[in-house]
Order: sequence, then C-alpha cells, then structure tokens
Amino acid sequence: METSFAITGKGYVLMAADTTAARSIVKMKTDEDKIKTLSPHLLMAYSGEPGDTVQFAEYVERNIRLYQIRNVYALRPAAAASWIRRSLAESLRSRKPYSVNLLLGGYDTSSYNPQLFWIDYLGTMTEVPFAAHGYGAYFALSLLDRYHDPSASLEEGLDTLRRCIDEVSKRLVVTPGKYKVKIVDKDGVREIEL
Amino acid sequence: MSIMDHNGGSVIAMVGKDCVAIASDLRLGDRALSISSNFQRIFPITDRIYVGLPGLGTDVATLRERFRFRVNMYTIKEEREIEPETFAHLVSSTLYEHRFGPYFIEPVMAGMSKTPSGGYKPFIAATDLIGCLNFAKDFVVAGTASSKLYGVAEGLWEPDLEPEDLFETISQTLLNAADRDAFSGWGAIVHIITKDKIITRTLKGRMD
Amino acid sequence: MPGMVSMTQPIQQSFNPYTENGGTILAIAGADFTVIAGDTRQSEGYSIQTRYAPKVFRLTDKAVLAVNGFAADGNMFVKKVRQRLEWYRHAHAKDMPIRAIARLIQTMLYARRFFPYYVYNILGGIEEDGTGAVYSFDPVGSYEREACRAAGAAQSLVQPFLDNQIYFKNQTPAAGTAFPKHLPLSTVLPLVIDSFTSATERHIEVGDGLEIYVVLARNSTALAGLQSLRGVQEVTGTNDGERVFVIRRDLKKD
Repeated sequence: METSFAITGKGYVLMAADTTAARSIVKMKTDEDKIKTLSPHLLMAYSGEPGDTVQFAEYVERNIRLYQIRNVYALRPAAAASWIRRSLAESLRSRKPYSVNLLLGGYDTSSYNPQLFWIDYLGTMTEVPFAAHGYGAYFALSLLDRYHDPSASLEEGLDTLRRCIDEVSKRLVVTPGKYKVKIVDKDGVREIEL
Repeated sequence: MSIMDHNGGSVIAMVGKDCVAIASDLRLGDRALSISSNFQRIFPITDRIYVGLPGLGTDVATLRERFRFRVNMYTIKEEREIEPETFAHLVSSTLYEHRFGPYFIEPVMAGMSKTPSGGYKPFIAATDLIGCLNFAKDFVVAGTASSKLYGVAEGLWEPDLEPEDLFETISQTLLNAADRDAFSGWGAIVHIITKDKIITRTLKGRMD
Repeated sequence: MPGMVSMTQPIQQSFNPYTENGGTILAIAGADFTVIAGDTRQSEGYSIQTRYAPKVFRLTDKAVLAVNGFAADGNMFVKKVRQRLEWYRHAHAKDMPIRAIARLIQTMLYARRFFPYYVYNILGGIEEDGTGAVYSFDPVGSYEREACRAAGAAQSLVQPFLDNQIYFKNQTPAAGTAFPKHLPLSTVLPLVIDSFTSATERHIEVGDGLEIYVVLARNSTALAGLQSLRGVQEVTGTNDGERVFVIRRDLKKD
C-alpha cells in the first residue's frame, strides 16, 4: 500500500513517497515518481485509487501552472491548497468522486515560511508540522510526535525521515522498499538521495 | 461508523451576563487516527458573531467559505452588518438547500445582538444538519461529545455569569465532557464575546 | 403505496428476549458512607410503563444493589442475589462482606455469559474496614471498585459531571492546598440530586422520582446531618452498627 511522509524544518519541507506501483501481488514498477512539482516552490505527493491519482494530480499540476502563466506570480501554498481542497470537495458529491489523498508541501516566498498541508479524498484539509498517508502513517506519526523539530536543519530532518522509513520497513508487512525524497525551500525544488 | 463521527470534534456555546462564550476542541481525526491538534472549527462572521462547525472536516471548510460568501453579499446589499438572528436563519436556509444530500455539520452560533435601545443582548443558537433551528436561552451543544456536554453543562451552568465566571464554566464543561469522548479533545479553544471585545484563550487539557 | 411491504428477500423473524427500560443509577463512596441512587421511572420507547419502579435494593445493612437496563432481568437478578445471600447466612452464620458479594455477582453474571442478564449493576456499601465502597459491573460480570460511577440511559450525561465534581478532574487546587480525597455527605447528597435533576432535564427516559439509599458505617460522622434532612426513612435491618436510610425526592414528570 502506498506510503508518503512529509516534515517541515528550518526553511524547508521534506517529502518522501514510496516508488512501488503494484497491482494485486505484482510489483509492476519500482521507480514510480509519486511526487509532482506543481510550481517552483510547491510539491504534491499523491496516493489512492490507481488512475484517479495520476488523472487528478495532472489536472492540479496543469491548473496551478495555468494560474502562474496568466498571473506571472505563482499561487502561494495556502491558496493552492484551498483550490485543490475545493476541487476534491466538489468531486466528492459528483457522479464519480476522485479517491486521492495528498500531501502538499511548499515554501511561501512572501512570508519566507515552509508550509505543509494534509488533504484527504473527502477534501478535509489541515496545516500540520508533519504528516503521512497510508498504513505507514500508523508507524511514522508517533515517531514524528516524539522526534520532530520544526527548527531542525536539513541533516537533522533527513535523520528524522530515515527513522520513519526504517520503522515502516521493519514493521509493515508489505514494505515499499525504495522511496523518492524531494525538498522544497527558498531555492526551489530538488531531489535528495537518502 | 457514522459520517458525523469520522473526523470527531465538539462545540458548545453558553449565555452569560451581557456576554456569550463559544468553545471547541481542536482535534481532527481520520476515524481512530488523530491527524491534527490544531484544527480550527470556530470562525468569526462579524465582530460580534462567531460560528462553530462540528462534524465532517471537509464540510467545515466548505461551509465556512459558503457563509463567508453569503455574509459578504448580505453586507454589500444591505450596507450594514448582519445581526446574529438573521445569520442563524441564513445558516438554516443554506443547510436546508441540501435537504436530500446534506452537509454533515451541526452549526453552533454565538453573538451579541443589537437591541432597539442601542445596547446589546447575548444570543446563541444551533441547528441540526438540515437546518432545524434551536434558539436556546442557556446553552447549545453539538459534536461527538454532545451527550456529555449536555450533562456537564446542565450541572454547571447558571444564569447571569460574568465573563470571567462564564469562561471558567464553559471551559470545565468542555474539558470534562471531551475527556469522556474518544473522538474529542487534543486541545481546546474558548472565545468570550462581550459588547466591545473578544477574548480568546487556549486551554491546557489532556492530550490523549 | 400504503400497506404494501417491500418484497425483496425473505426476512427471518425471531423473538427478541430483551428490551430497554430506561432510567439511570449512580453511586458515590465517601470515607465512612456510600450513597446509591436511582430514578424511579420505567419506560419502553416513548411510553412510560410506571412512574414508580424501584431500581435500588437493600441486600444487607452493609450492601445496597442498584440494577439498570432490562428491568425484568434486573428484578430477577436481585431476587437471585438475595437468595444466595440468604443461603450464605444460613451456612456461615454471618452476612457476606461486600467485596465477597461483588465477586459473587461476577460469578453469577458470567455463568450466563452466552445469554446474559441485560443489567448494569452498581453495588454500594461499607467494606470490612469501614470505608465506603462502590463496585460497578458490566452485564457479563467484569467489575471494579471505584469512588463513583453512573450507569444507565444518562450515564454519558452524569459521569463527566461526577469526574469534575468528585475527582476534581481538570481542576487545580489553590496554591498550598489540596483537594479532599473524600467528600462529606452534606456535599455528596446535593451533587446526587443535581445530577438527577440535570439528567431529567436533558434525557427523556429519566424523571418522575428519585430514591437515594445512604449506607453509613459504624459511628459514621454523617449520621447527625442525615437525621436533620426532610423525608429520611431508616431501613436498617439489624443492630450490628451499620445503618441504611432512604431519601425520596420528586423529579420532573414530563
């Protein structure tokens, strides 16, 4: 099952998502990228119903980019989160709702602060210092309650992230194996090797 | 599990002497898993009206945005601020529009309404998820801990409490009721509204 | 169309042996006394079966049992407990101590584990060491000694109020002081009455009347205060020293 985590630190948001694409007992792919870059300072990790996930994520990607094209400036993380949440809330009571859970991490270039949002398929949204989706959440969140530090440096943040990944690898029956880790900070988005 | 229990959370409003109080817990859960200890479910509508929205998390955000739109339209058209009783009816009609596919929220409102003589009178109200209004004189409760809130409030409330005493009463009511409910708690916030100011305090309570 | 039943799948009909008769009970233990109370309304759905059906029963001068849930099972269970206590008295020439009665109730309830007595029991009285005791049970015999417990229809309304007023939860004592471990009878009785008037206000199955049993240990300090109250009736059976009193009050009938 798909696992994603994200943590905030001093001036950054770290995001990690597993890279397994599975159908029943078969791992079809082990290098799937489940984190989309929506804008220069906005990352979105997605998980949920296969098909719905990529369709919705690309729909969001395109519309967030369209705003930037039209208005020169990109949407701030909180505003993008609101728009995304509204899309999911409208989808909920439609003929066939999107079943996609998201973690939205961004760096607000106006307030110079990292921001992280937990969003589920119902359109429930809340800003959090750290978050997770999937069965991995049941292992990661308690560790993060104990070890998370919002003013941690990148190295410290990566250590904390490694703790979560190791715990899930140790205790979850269907372990994902590899994770893709990305960071967003004042310099933008880049990938990190754990 | 009932849809109203999915995210958890509870709200209470009480009447005092020339003041009202509205309070809620801060938990947002995904069934039994707690996600956030910082989830706001009470929002200001005007300087003198607050609304609490316990129930399904996604509808909390949607309804807050809908009320913001409708109240802004009211203010633009009427060229004046909406009164609490009018807002209560606005809430009722918004919910009844979705009578056969409702928002899973049971709103609780608290405010100070203008009297003909120019003074202010305390006002509280609540509705069910399809907009049935309840104008209580003492207190209104909603959320996963509603039965517990009824019990403690009925025991602790008395008429004409001063703002500081009302604060203590509503805080004890919320804390003790939430401690008996698995889906409410993880922090609490209280707003005391008088005719000229609003004091907001977060409570120290059990975080389990 | 009126009168037409949906003809989808066949629905198996069966006899439901249980029903809910409403009502609420509560017990609070003091240092040298215990209070056990219950409202007197017996209902089924929206109907009131009777405004006076006692739910609290004196077993011995040291033990009072309150039963709530399914009244038929409750009444029968009390009869059976009383029978066992009588057999014990004949066999041992003394009354059963309250902690033994509690254990007896557990075994009697668990014996019917696969067709339970649908009753929530609260046993209150005086322990062998003279302290007030409250034992609460679930329908299949799980039990625990506590300082206070509410059960029944308005449990969710009353218990958090008791948590705040008896255990002082979410309260901090004034600097240099501490909260008392036990409250006096003069404080406990008004709390009991307030709990029931509050429950009556907000729960339709609670009301009509309130019966409070007060069990006092030997030489209890609460005795003087009790006798000055209105409408107190003594129901003590023996001369061993413990005393049992009943206080009746009206509750709203709507």
